Amino acid sequence: MREQVKNLRYIFKPRSVAIIGASGTPTKVGAVVLKNLIEGNFDGKVYPINPKYESLAGVKCYPSVLAVRKDIDCAIIATPAEAVPQILDDCGKKGIRGVVVLSGGFSEVGNVELENKLKEVADRYKIAVIGPNCLGILNPYERVDSIFLPMYKLKRPRPGGISFVTQSGATGTCVVDLAAQFGVGVSKFISYGNGTVINEIDLLEFLEKDRKTDEILLYLEGTKDGKRLLKTMKRVNKKKPIVVLKAGKGEKAAKAAFSHTGNLAGNYLSYDAAFRQSKVVVADSLDELFEFVKIFNQALPKGKRIGVVTNGGGLGVLTTDVIEDKKLELAEFSDETKKTLRKILPHYANADNPLDVIADAGSELYKKSLDVIKAAPEVDIIVVIVLFQAPAIDERILNILVNLSDEKKRPVVVIAVGGEYTEGHRKILEGYGVPTYSSPSDAIKAVKKLVDYAHAIKIRGV
Amino acid sequence: MTMIDDFNFLEKNNFKLLPYALAKTEDEAVKHAKKIGYPVVLKVVSPEISHKTDVGGVIVGIKNKMALSAAYREIMENTKGKKVEGILVQKKARKGIELIIGGKKDEQFGHTIVLGLGGIYVEVFRDISARICPISKEDVKEMVLELKSHPILLGLRGKKAIHMKTLERLVVNVCRFMQKEDISEIDLNPVVFNEKGCDIVDVRFKRSEK
Repeated sequence: MREQVKNLRYIFKPRSVAIIGASGTPTKVGAVVLKNLIEGNFDGKVYPINPKYESLAGVKCYPSVLAVRKDIDCAIIATPAEAVPQILDDCGKKGIRGVVVLSGGFSEVGNVELENKLKEVADRYKIAVIGPNCLGILNPYERVDSIFLPMYKLKRPRPGGISFVTQSGATGTCVVDLAAQFGVGVSKFISYGNGTVINEIDLLEFLEKDRKTDEILLYLEGTKDGKRLLKTMKRVNKKKPIVVLKAGKGEKAAKAAFSHTGNLAGNYLSYDAAFRQSKVVVADSLDELFEFVKIFNQALPKGKRIGVVTNGGGLGVLTTDVIEDKKLELAEFSDETKKTLRKILPHYANADNPLDVIADAGSELYKKSLDVIKAAPEVDIIVVIVLFQAPAIDERILNILVNLSDEKKRPVVVIAVGGEYTEGHRKILEGYGVPTYSSPSDAIKAVKKLVDYAHAIKIRGV
Repeated sequence: MTMIDDFNFLEKNNFKLLPYALAKTEDEAVKHAKKIGYPVVLKVVSPEISHKTDVGGVIVGIKNKMALSAAYREIMENTKGKKVEGILVQKKARKGIELIIGGKKDEQFGHTIVLGLGGIYVEVFRDISARICPISKEDVKEMVLELKSHPILLGLRGKKAIHMKTLERLVVNVCRFMQKEDISEIDLNPVVFNEKGCDIVDVRFKRSEK
């Protein structure tokens, strides 16, 4: 890893942050970022920088970073683009090693020269620069937040194991918001904008070594170094699953991507080839990005045989249909498994897969059945369908499912179809890291991705 | 560069082509055909004609000397007014499954290879799989399985599977060739496969501009 990439640690875990272009006008980016850091309970020192103010948000304001006596680890720049190279030079002189440039107005609007200047200064001082033209970064563990969107409009996710790398700020916004909404835990969020100094490949390398990152979400519009991207994805994906969403697949979309982030959205066929070769998990929409990533906190399955437990027969059938369609298998219960199941099931229930514990089954019967299924060597993946609407099901089922998922012996997936009441329960399960889906097809599609990934990793070797 | 130069160049790069010879006269064509063995195919060789079939520059399934003479004259007639360097006499390809193997140099990823179901509906079905070069034989195995039509290649309803080792070698070799000679675009289309091996029917390629 080159030194500049290593210096990203100053951005993600700074002891002190300067906000250059901090402002007293509440709608300005420099005001929102300052407010977010202070109200988000960031532990370190905060230095607002703006020659026009004596103090901002109750904190002493400085005319320049050079006027601050103490060391500064990280600077967030929210000034007009033209001023950025000079400010960056000041940061270099001050010894600041990590900088986030939120300002837009560089290559994405044709101002390539200004962007080159920025890069030249960053390289000279070995500063890790995120941006320009980006939304910023987020590290919920350290409560570092340079996202310039107000907290009441954009919820921040809880700390967790998923890191998200995005070229687009707009897409990033939606993902952060949805992650908070779904209770998905985030390790690092990085909107890298034009990727002038630090690009998506550098970030993959950084996250590969980041101990708090278990999985990586990558939203890509284009790359400038396909060969290195392929090589890096191949290596990192073996250790930490990468779920990728590529935008700009067609000719027209590629043109839109060009004017948007000043990058070329390459021919999708080559990207498709690179994704297949590196065995990363490909999502086709933002929804899929979430649906897929949440299953990867589970243990990798040894095979593709699924055991289904349900209290609703119809949903079991629907799930079976998708399992067949996706070329997965319904596990064949062994005689021993069936014998044990018959002992606990009511006489009118069949000990077959999908195991229908019948609508009047309570949480206790689920527990007993799942104990049998999880001990069955013929089952690689456990899918639990819960009809929360059924009268005998109570809150205890949540505990049972969370405990089962926490064992991490084989993947556990929950399907809960329904409205508000069910959704509430789904969210609780999500919050505890149990991959929970609102339809059989979403769930099994994700299972398929997990099975394919496990298979690819196994045959290619880790 | 004409077709013959290209063919020579390909043979130097370990591509096994169908037996062929260039005839400048009708008599030469007869001689070549006898040596190669019927049935043969005649193709016009001209720097001015890139789509040979469209102008009537290709005649297939020639079974004997008489048909050969007639075909030779017909092609000469069809291509009158164009600069013709000769007529290619080529052994008729075996019967089997038509595949397309192609490649191009991509701006971001460099040399990229494509394997697909060939034939006249190639554009309609777009049943293709791509990889970034270099690749291994393992990659080719995966590419085959990615094709929707892979059950046909692996043997369907009593038909034998195509000779997979030949396919693996050929695809890997196309990658190697593209990288070594810095080819910007290449088409092996069609390549006819059966259980014994394959015949490369036509190849077109272009070097990168320096």
